[in-house]
Amino acid sequence: MATKEQKEPEPADIIRPILNTSKWWYIGFGAAAAVALVWLAAFGFQLQEGLIVTNLADWGSGGGVTWGLYIGAFIWWVGIAHGGIILSAAVRLFGMTKYQPVARMAELLTLSALAMAGLYIVVHMGRPDRLVTSVVNAYPWTVQTSPLAWDVTVITLYFVMTATYIGLTLRYDTYQLRDRLPDILSPLYSVVLIGYSEKEDEVIERMVWWLALGIIVMAPLLLHGGVIPWLFSLIPSMPGWDGAIQGPQFLSIALTSALSGVIILAYSTRIAYDWDHIFTDRVVRGLTNWLGIFSLMFVWLQLQQVINGLFAAHVRPEVVMTAKLANPVYQMAIGIMAVVLAYIFAQAVKPSVFSQTRSLIASFGVLIATLSEKILFVYEGLAYPQFGLYDQVPGHYTPSLVELSSLAGTVALCAIIFMVILKLFPVIELHAVEGHDDHDEEVSS
Amino acid sequence: MSADDTNDESKHPYETEDSFHPLGAEWEDQMRDELEDTEFDADLGMEMARDAQRLVAGELSEEEFYAEYHEDIEDEFEVDERPVFDDIDDVDLDAAEDESMLESLTDVDFENEDTSRREMMKKMGAGAAFLGYGAYATYDQDDEQIPENVSGIRPADKDEREHRWGMVIDLERCDGCLSCVTGCINENGTSTGANWMYVFTYDDEDTDQQNFLVRPCQHCSNAPCAKVCPVRARHVRSKDGLVLTDYEICIGCRYCQVACPYGVNYFQWGEPDVPMSDLENLEMRPEEVRSLDEEERHKKLSEANDHVYDERGRWTDSRPPKGVMGKCTMCPSRQDGHTDNPKGTVACQDACDEAGMSAIHFGDLDDPESRPNTYLERRQEVEESPKEKSEKFEDAEDYEQPPAPHPVSQLPTFKLLEDLNTEPNVTYIGNQPGANATETPEERPVPYESLSNDWGVKVVAERKEHLDYGARANGGLEEGEGEA
Ligand code: SF4
Ligand code: SF4
Ligand code: SF4
Repeated sequence: MATKEQKEPEPADIIRPILNTSKWWYIGFGAAAAVALVWLAAFGFQLQEGLIVTNLADWGSGGGVTWGLYIGAFIWWVGIAHGGIILSAAVRLFGMTKYQPVARMAELLTLSALAMAGLYIVVHMGRPDRLVTSVVNAYPWTVQTSPLAWDVTVITLYFVMTATYIGLTLRYDTYQLRDRLPDILSPLYSVVLIGYSEKEDEVIERMVWWLALGIIVMAPLLLHGGVIPWLFSLIPSMPGWDGAIQGPQFLSIALTSALSGVIILAYSTRIAYDWDHIFTDRVVRGLTNWLGIFSLMFVWLQLQQVINGLFAAHVRPEVVMTAKLANPVYQMAIGIMAVVLAYIFAQAVKPSVFSQTRSLIASFGVLIATLSEKILFVYEGLAYPQFGLYDQVPGHYTPSLVELSSLAGTVALCAIIFMVILKLFPVIELHAVEGHDDHDEEVSS
Repeated sequence: MSADDTNDESKHPYETEDSFHPLGAEWEDQMRDELEDTEFDADLGMEMARDAQRLVAGELSEEEFYAEYHEDIEDEFEVDERPVFDDIDDVDLDAAEDESMLESLTDVDFENEDTSRREMMKKMGAGAAFLGYGAYATYDQDDEQIPENVSGIRPADKDEREHRWGMVIDLERCDGCLSCVTGCINENGTSTGANWMYVFTYDDEDTDQQNFLVRPCQHCSNAPCAKVCPVRARHVRSKDGLVLTDYEICIGCRYCQVACPYGVNYFQWGEPDVPMSDLENLEMRPEEVRSLDEEERHKKLSEANDHVYDERGRWTDSRPPKGVMGKCTMCPSRQDGHTDNPKGTVACQDACDEAGMSAIHFGDLDDPESRPNTYLERRQEVEESPKEKSEKFEDAEDYEQPPAPHPVSQLPTFKLLEDLNTEPNVTYIGNQPGANATETPEERPVPYESLSNDWGVKVVAERKEHLDYGARANGGLEEGEGEA
């Protein structure tokens, strides 16, 4: 990946996706739409037949697990979303201009991932038709006691915050680039620009900074280090979920997943729109190094849990940990993380080992590992409860096709959302190319 | 109780030297400043506020709080014009929720009309009002002021509730005949594998004999399942402590099942095996049933021998509909007295009695004369008197240990997973299964699969296989679905 002479990034670059649409975009869109439709059909089938089309069952004498892939995927998506917004907030808050080109991508990832998480709540429920009426009615009381009510609150809050955040920064870009954007979309742009005046830029910059601060502060306290793990760690009867370590664990998983997602988005758009002078090797390498740090944290926290569970633990935590270690899915997840870490350390020591493609593969690996770990986490908790008398009840859980198709379906939907936004707004901030620092030398081999 | 109180009573964490308020010393100082600006005693205000915090924490009763300050307040304000606590009920607590505490307090109908409310509020000082009554209102609202269509998660206090239903189950009498399982299925029309009543046959390390554990829902007084429900479908009926699911509200998130330590919940994954039309019920929509006045409702439900609604007109009894959670209900339609079966009985107990075992004893645990309490007492007496014991049990050799030197009960009793603080309302007589107890399905005296019931529903011990079959049977579309 040695680079030739350095092109200067300019505003024309970032609006290219809006002006030109290649056949690859249509092919990609068509494929994603097809997958999404297949899943929507499967979901329709589930609505009609009930959750019996999943392979979930009752824990206890039922011999199954009542939460499975749907909840695992839900926390995975929320993790990506929370991680994404933390990344973007960090870029803004700490003025990490090097990463400014990926800031908005991370935000867009957050929005679409949150939407998928929300969708999973609906898909998971036995009576989604009652969602609004039932929740609203008792909300002032349930919010005092039910971690699930906290989750719904936080996801809504986060959706609003992220949308505000993106909305605010988009206004500036849209205003500046307006003349060069297609006329056909001008009604949309006028809506975005309602009441815009140049004077607001400074105010908005300050607001965005405060929002970023809020996000950074809230993330570990409340969001992915808080209410999401509390959903599980506050249930004392499931030793697999127990413990205060779940907060940091969830947060590390969120950050690794989100970084991987951002690397994948950067890589794909770089190929599609010749953005190699924007998503330079230097940027991607930096992201890869961060991925290494958080992956290490992830593995470290797993180690803590396993050792604490195994060494002279009470009977049940030991049972869970032994089962977890013996599970091939867990072995695979940790194996992937080990390979990823090996690559990241190698490229940190020896730059020639780095390549964008390798980082891309590592990112996919991490996403698969975190998703498997999340689903397994949900499963293990319910499969090895404190009340051990049910152990002899035969049972197993392999997600059904309907459940599995939801993974493909939500990934496809997420891609669709991103592809549509790509055609409407610049996915790289104008600031990132305007103020592009020239001494951003390429790291070349 | 005042500030110069020197004894070492347990101190509330807020009650430190520096600051008692959760918002911290700064906030407290600000409040004090505001109080000092008024012409009234700032120390008294702050002290009241401090105790109000303790009131919230439950360390102080309302009466104590009131009594403590009545005289002080009279001196200070000439007359105690604070709202008496009955008046507080008039405050719209919903409004209080959105922090308009001051405003809602001004709605209180004070007895003394000489002083306008506004003036009164001024007198009390903004600080004391916020800290004191603001805190009081939060406390109050949690416990009582929830509207009728939202249920609570705790039984009412002992003197306010009518009953506390529960069971004493004598495991030493159980022989694993599973009559109770059938009895429950007959009563509730549950689907295959949803064994609301389940009986374990298990081996324990320290005994050779076969052990049984009869496991209905424990109807916990501190029920984690009710706490976590995001819509309060799962709730604890305050008048009698029954833990029920409102089938009209439940969204099927299954968090209750996740939070219950005992694994007693059974979700309705597909269509129920027993159609609604076969259940004994009043042919009315739940909202119509609820709209009737109490007497009318009771009359209608009794005429229909209804087994679906409870006395509040909520659909909480019999098997749940598709997509909704079910579990042992302790038969609320019986406890509300509108079925042909007497109040104070449950179907599993009836079946157990009929089988001649009488291991299950259901009744009001608050009532010393109730069946479970008298049974437990009697069993304890028998256990204490070796003579009676040997008369009662044929095999006297098994009980050769000398009688206890003092009359302490030797009868082993336990509650399941008591240290999880769920306050279960089922007490077992017998030995608690040890940490390494293992279920031995192959040794069941009567297999679940051999049970027959009134509905012709198939019975199985474990449900997973059955549900998997259902998934496959419904899998038409899945065949054609490509993995993307
Ligand atoms: S046993 Fe389980 S379902 Fe029954 S009240 Fe207790 S926690 Fe709830
Ligand atoms: S499944 Fe129903 S009753 Fe249980 S927690 Fe969810 S909404 Fe409440
Ligand atoms: S109390 Fe009623 S619902 Fe519970 S197991 Fe017995 S018969 Fe079934």
